[in-house]
Amino acid sequence: MKGAEPWQTAEIPGPIKAFVISEPARISSILKSARRPLFIIGNRIDKKALEQGIISLIVDIAGAIDADIAVYGGIYRDFKATNYDKVRLVPSMEVIDRVKDENWKGFDGKGRYDVIIFLGFPYYYEWLMLSGLKHYGDRKTRTLSLDPYYQPNATISMINMDIDKWMEVIKEIRSNLLGGE
Amino acid sequence: MPRKIKIKIDELKSELGVIKNLELNIGRIIEDWEEPEGQYSMPKVYELRDWDFKLLKRYKPMYMPFCDLCCLCTYGKCDLSRDKRGACGIDMSGQQSRIVLLACCIGVATHTSHARTLVEALIDKYGRNAPIDLGGEVYVEAPNTRLICGIKPKTLGDLEDALDYIETELTYMLASTHTGQEGSNLDLESKVFHVGMLDHLALEIADIAQIATLNFPKADPEAPLVEIGMGSIDISKPVILVIGHNVLPSTSIIDYMEENGLYSDVEVCGLCCSAHDITRYSPKKAKIVGPMSWELRFIRTGVPDVIVIDEQCIRTDIALEASRYNMIVISTSEQNIQGFPDMTREHPDVIVEKLVNREIPGAYIHDPDLVGEVAVKVAMKVYPLRKKYKKLPSVEEVIAYATKCRECQECDKACPHSLPIMNAIVAAKNGDLSLLADLYENCVACTRCEKACPVDMPILTMIVKASDRRIKSEKYKIRVGRGAIQDTEIREVGSPIVLGEIPGVVAFVGCPNYAQGGKEVVIMAEEFAKRRYIVVTSGCAAMTLGMYKNNDNKTLYEIYPGVFDAGGIVNVGSCVANSHISGAAIKIASVFAKRKLRGNYKEIADYIHNRVGAVGIAWGAMSQKAASIAAGFWRLGVPVIVGPHGSKYRRMLMGRKENEEDWYVYDARTGEKVYVGPVPEHLFYTAETMEEAMVVAAKLCMRANDTTKGRAVKLTNYIDLHKRFYGTLPDDLPLFVRVEADIPITMKDEIIAFLKEKGWKEKAIPDPTLLEEMVRKK
Repeated sequence: MKGAEPWQTAEIPGPIKAFVISEPARISSILKSARRPLFIIGNRIDKKALEQGIISLIVDIAGAIDADIAVYGGIYRDFKATNYDKVRLVPSMEVIDRVKDENWKGFDGKGRYDVIIFLGFPYYYEWLMLSGLKHYGDRKTRTLSLDPYYQPNATISMINMDIDKWMEVIKEIRSNLLGGE
Repeated sequence: MPRKIKIKIDELKSELGVIKNLELNIGRIIEDWEEPEGQYSMPKVYELRDWDFKLLKRYKPMYMPFCDLCCLCTYGKCDLSRDKRGACGIDMSGQQSRIVLLACCIGVATHTSHARTLVEALIDKYGRNAPIDLGGEVYVEAPNTRLICGIKPKTLGDLEDALDYIETELTYMLASTHTGQEGSNLDLESKVFHVGMLDHLALEIADIAQIATLNFPKADPEAPLVEIGMGSIDISKPVILVIGHNVLPSTSIIDYMEENGLYSDVEVCGLCCSAHDITRYSPKKAKIVGPMSWELRFIRTGVPDVIVIDEQCIRTDIALEASRYNMIVISTSEQNIQGFPDMTREHPDVIVEKLVNREIPGAYIHDPDLVGEVAVKVAMKVYPLRKKYKKLPSVEEVIAYATKCRECQECDKACPHSLPIMNAIVAAKNGDLSLLADLYENCVACTRCEKACPVDMPILTMIVKASDRRIKSEKYKIRVGRGAIQDTEIREVGSPIVLGEIPGVVAFVGCPNYAQGGKEVVIMAEEFAKRRYIVVTSGCAAMTLGMYKNNDNKTLYEIYPGVFDAGGIVNVGSCVANSHISGAAIKIASVFAKRKLRGNYKEIADYIHNRVGAVGIAWGAMSQKAASIAAGFWRLGVPVIVGPHGSKYRRMLMGRKENEEDWYVYDARTGEKVYVGPVPEHLFYTAETMEEAMVVAAKLCMRANDTTKGRAVKLTNYIDLHKRFYGTLPDDLPLFVRVEADIPITMKDEIIAFLKEKGWKEKAIPDPTLLEEMVRKK
């Protein structure tokens, strides 16, 4: 499947590679089944997607599954402006360092995260963070890349797709979790 | 390490008489340095291992493997994923640290071979007894060498002992990476620190040798301003472009022109560190094109007639690229011969004729003195023949190229920065070149897009053409690399730095692999200069700082002074001049605090780590050399921040601020263990954005020794930047406020309320040290 090839040239993965799931319904089910989900959001979300309101979609999805959102850099203010009360101001590298630590109990101290959702980072940067968790994270913790690219170091990844298609997928996930348009 | 034979006889009675206090040294160095020698002159890795481990306990390696495999021996490929071990027994952590060590060994080998080449050539020319004089106000001429080797070099010949030491140690460290050697990731990390330390020694040797002999600026805060940028190159003359790091071949070009009255007949310009150093040698004659990312951009304009390459950070396809534009390439370094015939023993005129007539594809000339004559003569001869190559394609030609585009998006996928290349080409198809021009700022001219293109479109050339107006306007000023920091400057700023009243020293260093263009470095540097930090810079980063103008048409170098003081922007010079940055930190301990330097690494590193609020920002770090330079700072306890691409170094050294047990020091007065908070919080850190880097850098300047006044100044900057970008007080603020007097006065009420809410308690302010032996109370 061409869409399940690494997006960036020469980022050859393996031997452990992500399961590819692109159907919004299946991703919604994974998110719904998460007991302690965490979003880690970067500053490189596509401009077109930002203009089409992806931040409010992400916050809606996070709210539907009661997820924390870890975010830093310039995009933090956009998330803060949504008034979602589980937005955490923390640099991505510091989150990764803690998530892989079996003694870390999350931002609220209530326990480890079981599903960690990535979105909005430079491709290679997300690749490396996911690699860190693949090798050093808890096996029970699943990572999910919600970016419009195949990220083989995630436990579960979407395929490469254009921004319009991606926005449709994100909207459908939101709709599955919250109902309505 | 026994560097030479040393015999000491307190008293010897023999038939000939009594000999008392006889000290005999056999070897090159005869020390007359009254400072007593410390325990760690020319240390082995195991002698400083306990210091390394203290740092590694605080700053644990956080691995992000670039690859799941090891493919270094024929047992493999081995799958190291998760907790598997390879056929040799190595695990993923060991393998990652081993790769970091390999990278750093490559970096050190490169700087050391550079230093060795320079020292040998300069000894040949100026003699072993040529004095090392770095300027009237530089008394501690070689802080790294004094500290690490326990020697006080006075002449060029003295530097050879330090080089011998580096080469020996480097061989041991490289040997550790062989299959079936070191398996402990922490010992591998300790070795990374060791080679980093060696690296700064090599850097220092290279730079002080060339400063001492080649009449470079000597610690001059008012070193001259020179021109930088493609638009500043005079294309009405033959153009010689020098690329690399070893300045000797370039100096022979300038010398030949001067000796033969050709000073105004040929344009000499440079890329990367050779450009820095040729302008240090000849600020009136030489110009800088730009950092290494300008290499292919400039070649694609067709302007250079002759390219003289030396060593390091030169495109390995330089001969191929040059041949497309009928340029002549002369290689001069055995590290980078490029397949050319060795013409060193030929008569210069024979070489010139063969090159001009294209009888040979290029020439390798390993005698720097010969290079100048050949390069100048060839440039003057080929210039009239090359005029037709000195042009970019027309707009129509760019559109014609673009029409071949199949819209496969391979260019986008190949771009390391994920630039929207295909969209720009599609727009160009329709006659709109503006999107191609937009790519110029963030493109690093790696041409991965071209290699991926199935129809062989010259994408970079198209970008360059679309940006030709901008290129013509690339005329800027950069202050020439000044070299060392004066002892008098150190005396002036030592106290305010150590007490924290100057909020910190921020060093912008390294390569130009910027994820979002060089402008970010300029913004960051100016922000810290305005905030009265001392901003120092070197290498390609220093060039980047000179390549943007403000609204008054001035670059940072024209606005901010070159003095090592609050609010200065100090260009120390090329990559090898990074040693003056570590050297300045060492000199604060020595010149200001009067700590003994000689063979006293642990104490000095402990001093710097706990007292000197310095941080490096290598925003576009790319190379193995950048890795080894960073490693040298780590061992001194100085944190380094890299930009997003720096994550590819695959392991960070991260502190955990909430782990209270990691942040205790000894109070040197009492021997008590005292919690000081996470200062500095990390040792090696990747920031995703410029905003993140600025906030983290301000935070990483805090040190355990800060006075209350100093901590208040540092907190003011940290809080102010945090508020500007995030609109809130930093959540970790209570960790950095020790007593009420630390609180910035202008924010007192707000912060006290915040601290109360967080349950903050006062903390002690000790005389901090990580070394038990530094405790004075016995």
